[in-house]
Amino acid sequence: MTTQVFKIPDSFKKDVRYTFCPGCDHGVAVRLVAEVLDELGLTQNTICAASIGCSVTIYDFLNIDTIESPHGRAMAVATGVKRAKPDKFVFTYQGDGDFASIGLAESMHAALRGEKISAICINNTTYGMTGGQLGPTTILGQVTTTSPTGRNLEYYGYPIKIAEHIALCDGTAFSARVSLDTVANIKKAKQAIKKAFEVQMKGLGLGFVEILSSCPTNWKMSPDKAHQRVREEMMPVFNLGIYKDVTQS
Amino acid sequence: MSNIVIDKTKCKACYLCIKECPKGLIKVSKDTNSLGNNVVEFADAKNECLGCAMCAQRCPDLAIIEVNKG
Repeated sequence: MTTQVFKIPDSFKKDVRYTFCPGCDHGVAVRLVAEVLDELGLTQNTICAASIGCSVTIYDFLNIDTIESPHGRAMAVATGVKRAKPDKFVFTYQGDGDFASIGLAESMHAALRGEKISAICINNTTYGMTGGQLGPTTILGQVTTTSPTGRNLEYYGYPIKIAEHIALCDGTAFSARVSLDTVANIKKAKQAIKKAFEVQMKGLGLGFVEILSSCPTNWKMSPDKAHQRVREEMMPVFNLGIYKDVTQS
Repeated sequence: MSNIVIDKTKCKACYLCIKECPKGLIKVSKDTNSLGNNVVEFADAKNECLGCAMCAQRCPDLAIIEVNKG
Protein backbone atom coordinates (compact mmCIF):
# COMPACT_ATOMS: atom_id res chain seq x y z
CA MET A 1 0.00 0.00 0.00
CA THR A 2 1.50 3.30 -1.13
CA THR A 3 0.34 6.68 0.08
CA GLN A 4 1.03 9.92 -1.73
CA VAL A 5 2.55 12.26 0.87
CA PHE A 6 3.51 15.14 -1.44
CA LYS A 7 2.08 16.48 -4.69
CA ILE A 8 1.83 19.72 -6.63
CA PRO A 9 -0.94 21.74 -4.94
CA ASP A 10 -4.19 22.04 -6.92
CA SER A 11 -3.94 25.84 -6.59
CA PHE A 12 -0.68 25.73 -8.54
CA LYS A 13 -0.90 26.08 -12.33
CA LYS A 14 -0.08 22.97 -14.32
CA ASP A 15 3.12 22.79 -16.34
CA VAL A 16 4.59 26.12 -15.28
CA ARG A 17 8.17 26.59 -14.17
CA TYR A 18 9.22 29.14 -11.59
CA THR A 19 11.17 32.10 -12.95
CA PHE A 20 12.93 32.71 -9.63
CA CYS A 21 16.72 32.34 -9.41
CA PRO A 22 18.16 28.94 -8.43
CA GLY A 23 17.79 28.32 -4.70
CA CYS A 24 15.45 31.28 -4.11
CA ASP A 25 13.04 30.71 -1.22
CA HIS A 26 10.20 32.52 -3.01
CA GLY A 27 9.42 29.18 -4.65
CA VAL A 28 8.88 27.51 -1.28
CA ALA A 29 6.76 30.42 0.01
CA VAL A 30 4.48 30.43 -3.05
CA ARG A 31 4.07 26.66 -2.76
CA LEU A 32 3.10 27.00 0.92
CA VAL A 33 0.51 29.64 0.02
CA ALA A 34 -0.91 27.27 -2.63
CA GLU A 35 -1.07 24.38 -0.16
CA VAL A 36 -2.89 26.52 2.42
CA LEU A 37 -5.36 27.75 -0.22
CA ASP A 38 -6.02 24.09 -1.08
CA GLU A 39 -6.46 23.03 2.54
CA LEU A 40 -8.84 25.89 3.38
CA GLY A 41 -10.82 25.44 0.15
CA LEU A 42 -10.18 29.04 -0.90
CA THR A 43 -8.81 28.68 -4.42
CA GLN A 44 -12.01 29.58 -6.27
CA ASN A 45 -12.87 32.46 -3.93
CA THR A 46 -9.51 34.23 -3.66
CA ILE A 47 -8.19 37.52 -5.03
CA CYS A 48 -4.49 38.34 -4.60
CA ALA A 49 -3.19 41.89 -4.67
CA ALA A 50 0.21 41.55 -6.32
CA SER A 51 3.20 43.74 -5.59
CA ILE A 52 6.25 44.99 -7.45
CA GLY A 53 9.50 43.06 -7.21
CA CYS A 54 10.32 39.37 -7.47
CA SER A 55 7.15 38.63 -5.49
CA VAL A 56 4.95 39.99 -8.29
CA THR A 57 5.37 36.82 -10.32
CA ILE A 58 3.04 34.93 -7.97
CA TYR A 59 0.30 35.58 -10.54
CA ASP A 60 2.16 33.44 -13.06
CA PHE A 61 2.02 30.40 -10.80
CA LEU A 62 -1.31 30.21 -8.95
CA ASN A 63 -4.81 29.42 -10.21
CA ILE A 64 -6.36 32.48 -8.56
CA ASP A 65 -7.53 35.92 -9.60
CA THR A 66 -4.87 38.58 -9.14
CA ILE A 67 -4.88 42.35 -9.40
CA GLU A 68 -1.66 44.31 -9.90
CA SER A 69 -0.86 47.18 -7.53
CA PRO A 70 1.38 50.23 -7.87
CA HIS A 71 4.70 49.76 -6.10
CA GLY A 72 4.12 49.30 -2.37
CA ARG A 73 0.37 49.79 -2.53
CA ALA A 74 -0.80 46.18 -2.44
CA MET A 75 -2.36 46.63 1.01
CA ALA A 76 -4.34 49.63 -0.23
CA VAL A 77 -5.52 47.73 -3.30
CA ALA A 78 -6.40 44.71 -1.15
CA THR A 79 -8.38 47.02 1.14
CA GLY A 80 -10.45 48.24 -1.80
CA VAL A 81 -11.03 44.74 -3.14
CA LYS A 82 -12.09 43.39 0.26
CA ARG A 83 -14.44 46.30 0.96
CA ALA A 84 -16.03 45.98 -2.48
CA LYS A 85 -16.27 42.20 -2.26
CA PRO A 86 -16.32 41.26 1.44
CA ASP A 87 -17.22 37.65 0.65
CA LYS A 88 -13.91 37.14 -1.16
CA PHE A 89 -10.69 35.96 0.46
CA VAL A 90 -8.08 38.65 -0.21
CA PHE A 91 -4.35 38.55 0.42
CA THR A 92 -1.17 40.33 -0.61
CA TYR A 93 2.19 38.74 -1.39
CA GLN A 94 4.99 41.30 -1.15
CA GLY A 95 8.70 41.74 -0.57
CA ASP A 96 10.18 43.76 2.28
CA GLY A 97 11.01 46.76 0.08
CA ASP A 98 7.48 46.84 -1.29
CA PHE A 99 5.75 46.26 2.06
CA ALA A 100 7.97 48.14 4.48
CA SER A 101 9.64 50.95 2.57
CA ILE A 102 7.72 52.14 -0.46
CA GLY A 103 4.42 50.87 0.96
CA LEU A 104 5.04 51.30 4.69
CA ALA A 105 2.26 53.88 5.11
CA GLU A 106 -0.28 51.73 3.28
CA SER A 107 0.78 48.62 5.19
CA MET A 108 0.69 50.23 8.65
CA HIS A 109 -2.61 51.98 8.09
CA ALA A 110 -4.25 48.82 6.77
CA ALA A 111 -3.20 47.17 10.03
CA LEU A 112 -4.38 50.14 12.10
CA ARG A 113 -7.75 50.08 10.34
CA GLY A 114 -8.01 46.36 11.03
CA GLU A 115 -8.68 45.50 7.42
CA LYS A 116 -9.90 41.93 7.16
CA ILE A 117 -7.21 40.86 4.74
CA SER A 118 -4.04 38.77 4.94
CA ALA A 119 -0.50 39.77 4.01
CA ILE A 120 2.65 37.76 3.32
CA CYS A 121 5.94 39.68 3.34
CA ILE A 122 9.15 38.06 2.12
CA ASN A 123 12.12 39.54 3.99
CA ASN A 124 15.43 38.88 2.22
CA THR A 125 17.13 42.09 3.44
CA THR A 126 17.54 43.50 -0.07
CA TYR A 127 15.80 44.66 -3.22
CA GLY A 128 16.15 41.45 -5.22
CA MET A 129 14.69 42.17 -8.64
CA THR A 130 16.55 45.43 -9.20
CA GLY A 131 19.98 44.11 -8.32
CA GLY A 132 20.47 43.91 -4.57
CA GLN A 133 20.20 47.46 -3.27
CA LEU A 134 19.94 48.44 0.40
CA GLY A 135 16.38 48.00 1.62
CA PRO A 136 14.46 48.77 4.82
CA THR A 137 15.42 45.42 6.34
CA THR A 138 19.10 45.41 5.33
CA ILE A 139 20.95 44.58 8.53
CA LEU A 140 23.75 46.68 9.98
CA GLY A 141 27.04 45.96 8.25
CA GLN A 142 25.43 44.20 5.30
CA VAL A 143 27.09 44.94 1.97
CA THR A 144 24.70 45.76 -0.88
CA THR A 145 25.17 47.44 -4.24
CA THR A 146 24.21 50.79 -2.68
CA SER A 147 26.04 50.24 0.62
CA PRO A 148 29.34 48.83 -0.65
CA THR A 149 31.04 49.26 2.71
CA GLY A 150 28.11 47.81 4.63
CA ARG A 151 25.00 49.38 6.18
CA ASN A 152 26.23 52.20 8.35
CA LEU A 153 24.14 53.07 11.41
CA GLU A 154 24.89 56.80 11.42
CA TYR A 155 24.09 57.17 7.73
CA TYR A 156 21.22 54.69 7.17
CA GLY A 157 19.80 54.00 10.62
CA TYR A 158 18.38 50.70 11.80
CA PRO A 159 16.51 48.00 9.84
CA ILE A 160 12.77 47.79 10.46
CA LYS A 161 11.35 44.85 12.39
CA ILE A 162 8.13 44.46 10.47
CA ALA A 163 6.33 41.71 12.38
CA GLU A 164 6.77 43.56 15.68
CA HIS A 165 5.47 46.84 14.23
CA ILE A 166 2.43 45.21 12.65
CA ALA A 167 1.71 43.40 15.92
CA LEU A 168 1.55 46.76 17.73
CA CYS A 169 -1.35 47.89 15.54
CA ASP A 170 -4.68 47.37 17.29
CA GLY A 171 -6.35 46.16 14.09
CA THR A 172 -3.93 43.25 13.70
CA ALA A 173 -5.31 39.84 14.61
CA PHE A 174 -2.19 37.78 13.88
CA SER A 175 1.44 38.70 13.29
CA ALA A 176 4.36 36.28 13.11
CA ARG A 177 7.87 35.95 11.77
CA VAL A 178 8.95 32.61 10.33
CA SER A 179 11.84 31.30 8.26
CA LEU A 180 12.44 28.91 5.36
CA ASP A 181 16.01 27.92 6.22
CA THR A 182 15.19 24.36 7.31
CA VAL A 183 12.42 21.88 6.57
CA ALA A 184 11.25 22.15 10.20
CA ASN A 185 10.93 25.91 9.83
CA ILE A 186 9.20 25.51 6.46
CA LYS A 187 6.51 23.47 8.21
CA LYS A 188 6.14 26.15 10.91
CA ALA A 189 5.91 28.80 8.20
CA LYS A 190 2.99 26.95 6.64
CA GLN A 191 1.18 26.86 10.00
CA ALA A 192 1.66 30.63 10.36
CA ILE A 193 0.34 31.31 6.85
CA LYS A 194 -2.68 29.17 7.62
CA LYS A 195 -3.33 31.12 10.81
CA ALA A 196 -2.97 34.45 9.00
CA PHE A 197 -5.55 33.26 6.47
CA GLU A 198 -7.93 31.88 9.12
CA VAL A 199 -8.16 35.14 11.10
CA GLN A 200 -9.39 36.86 7.94
CA MET A 201 -11.95 34.09 7.38
CA LYS A 202 -13.19 34.62 10.95
CA GLY A 203 -13.36 38.40 10.40
CA LEU A 204 -10.96 39.11 13.27
CA GLY A 205 -8.68 41.59 11.51
CA LEU A 206 -5.39 41.62 9.64
CA GLY A 207 -3.39 38.41 9.40
CA PHE A 208 0.31 38.99 8.74
CA VAL A 209 3.36 36.76 8.23
CA GLU A 210 6.93 37.96 7.66
CA ILE A 211 9.03 35.21 6.08
CA LEU A 212 12.82 35.29 6.38
CA SER A 213 14.05 34.20 2.99
CA SER A 214 17.34 33.76 1.19
CA CYS A 215 18.47 35.63 -1.94
CA PRO A 216 21.50 33.64 -3.11
CA THR A 217 21.97 35.68 -6.30
CA ASN A 218 22.22 39.11 -4.71
CA TRP A 219 23.96 37.84 -1.60
CA LYS A 220 26.46 36.19 -3.96
CA MET A 221 26.31 32.89 -2.06
CA SER A 222 25.42 29.27 -2.77
CA PRO A 223 21.82 28.41 -1.82
CA ASP A 224 23.08 26.36 1.14
CA LYS A 225 25.35 29.16 2.40
CA ALA A 226 22.47 31.59 2.01
CA HIS A 227 20.35 29.53 4.40
CA GLN A 228 23.27 29.54 6.81
CA ARG A 229 23.30 33.33 6.59
CA VAL A 230 19.58 33.43 7.39
CA ARG A 231 20.32 31.49 10.59
CA GLU A 232 23.53 33.18 11.65
CA GLU A 233 23.03 36.81 10.60
CA MET A 234 19.31 37.42 10.13
CA MET A 235 17.72 35.47 12.97
CA PRO A 236 19.67 37.25 15.74
CA VAL A 237 18.23 40.54 14.40
CA PHE A 238 14.84 39.29 13.26
CA ASN A 239 13.75 36.87 16.01
CA LEU A 240 11.30 34.19 14.95
CA GLY A 241 8.00 33.95 16.75
CA ILE A 242 4.34 34.82 17.00
CA TYR A 243 4.06 38.46 18.05
CA LYS A 244 0.28 38.67 18.18
CA ASP A 245 -2.53 36.13 18.02
CA VAL A 246 -5.92 37.35 19.21
CA THR A 247 -7.27 33.81 19.11
CA GLN A 248 -4.93 32.91 21.97
CA SER A 249 -5.74 35.84 24.25
CA MET B 1 8.24 0.86 -1.46
CA SER B 2 8.67 4.64 -1.25
CA ASN B 3 9.81 6.81 -4.13
CA ILE B 4 9.95 10.35 -5.50
CA VAL B 5 9.16 11.70 -8.97
CA ILE B 6 11.40 14.45 -10.36
CA ASP B 7 10.33 16.79 -13.18
CA LYS B 8 13.76 17.42 -14.61
CA THR B 9 12.55 20.29 -16.78
CA LYS B 10 12.03 22.34 -13.59
CA CYS B 11 15.35 21.60 -11.86
CA LYS B 12 17.62 24.63 -11.57
CA ALA B 13 20.54 22.71 -10.09
CA CYS B 14 20.58 24.36 -6.65
CA TYR B 15 21.16 20.86 -5.22
CA LEU B 16 19.50 21.66 -1.89
CA CYS B 17 17.61 18.34 -2.12
CA ILE B 18 20.87 16.37 -2.23
CA LYS B 19 21.88 17.62 1.20
CA GLU B 20 18.38 17.13 2.60
CA CYS B 21 17.97 13.43 1.75
CA PRO B 22 18.76 11.39 4.91
CA LYS B 23 19.67 8.37 2.80
CA GLY B 24 21.77 10.12 0.16
CA LEU B 25 19.59 8.85 -2.69
CA ILE B 26 19.64 12.02 -4.83
CA LYS B 27 22.66 12.74 -6.97
CA VAL B 28 23.80 15.11 -9.72
CA SER B 29 23.06 13.57 -13.10
CA LYS B 30 25.05 13.87 -16.31
CA ASP B 31 21.78 14.86 -18.03
CA THR B 32 21.03 18.49 -18.73
CA ASN B 33 17.65 20.13 -19.27
CA SER B 34 16.59 22.98 -21.53
CA LEU B 35 18.00 25.44 -18.99
CA GLY B 36 21.41 23.85 -19.42
CA ASN B 37 21.44 22.62 -15.85
CA ASN B 38 22.91 19.34 -14.72
CA VAL B 39 19.72 18.07 -13.14
CA VAL B 40 19.40 15.76 -10.15
CA GLU B 41 18.40 12.11 -10.32
CA PHE B 42 16.94 9.66 -7.83
CA ALA B 43 18.66 6.30 -7.51
CA ASP B 44 17.32 3.83 -4.97
CA ALA B 45 18.52 0.34 -5.91
CA LYS B 46 18.14 -0.95 -2.33
CA ASN B 47 14.66 0.53 -1.69
CA GLU B 48 15.98 2.78 1.05
CA CYS B 49 13.73 5.78 0.41
CA LEU B 50 11.79 6.64 3.56
CA GLY B 51 9.12 8.71 1.81
CA CYS B 52 9.89 11.50 4.27
CA ALA B 53 9.41 14.19 1.58
CA MET B 54 12.22 16.32 3.04
CA CYS B 55 13.58 16.74 -0.49
CA ALA B 56 10.24 17.94 -1.85
CA GLN B 57 9.71 20.30 1.08
CA ARG B 58 13.16 21.80 0.46
CA CYS B 59 13.05 22.04 -3.34
CA PRO B 60 12.46 25.72 -4.18
CA ASP B 61 11.38 24.93 -7.74
CA LEU B 62 8.69 22.30 -7.19
CA ALA B 63 10.81 20.00 -9.34
CA ILE B 64 10.08 17.08 -7.03
CA ILE B 65 6.46 16.74 -8.02
CA GLU B 66 5.46 13.64 -6.14
CA VAL B 67 6.49 11.64 -3.07
CA ASN B 68 4.94 8.25 -2.41
CA LYS B 69 5.38 6.46 0.88
CA GLY B 70 5.00 2.71 1.02
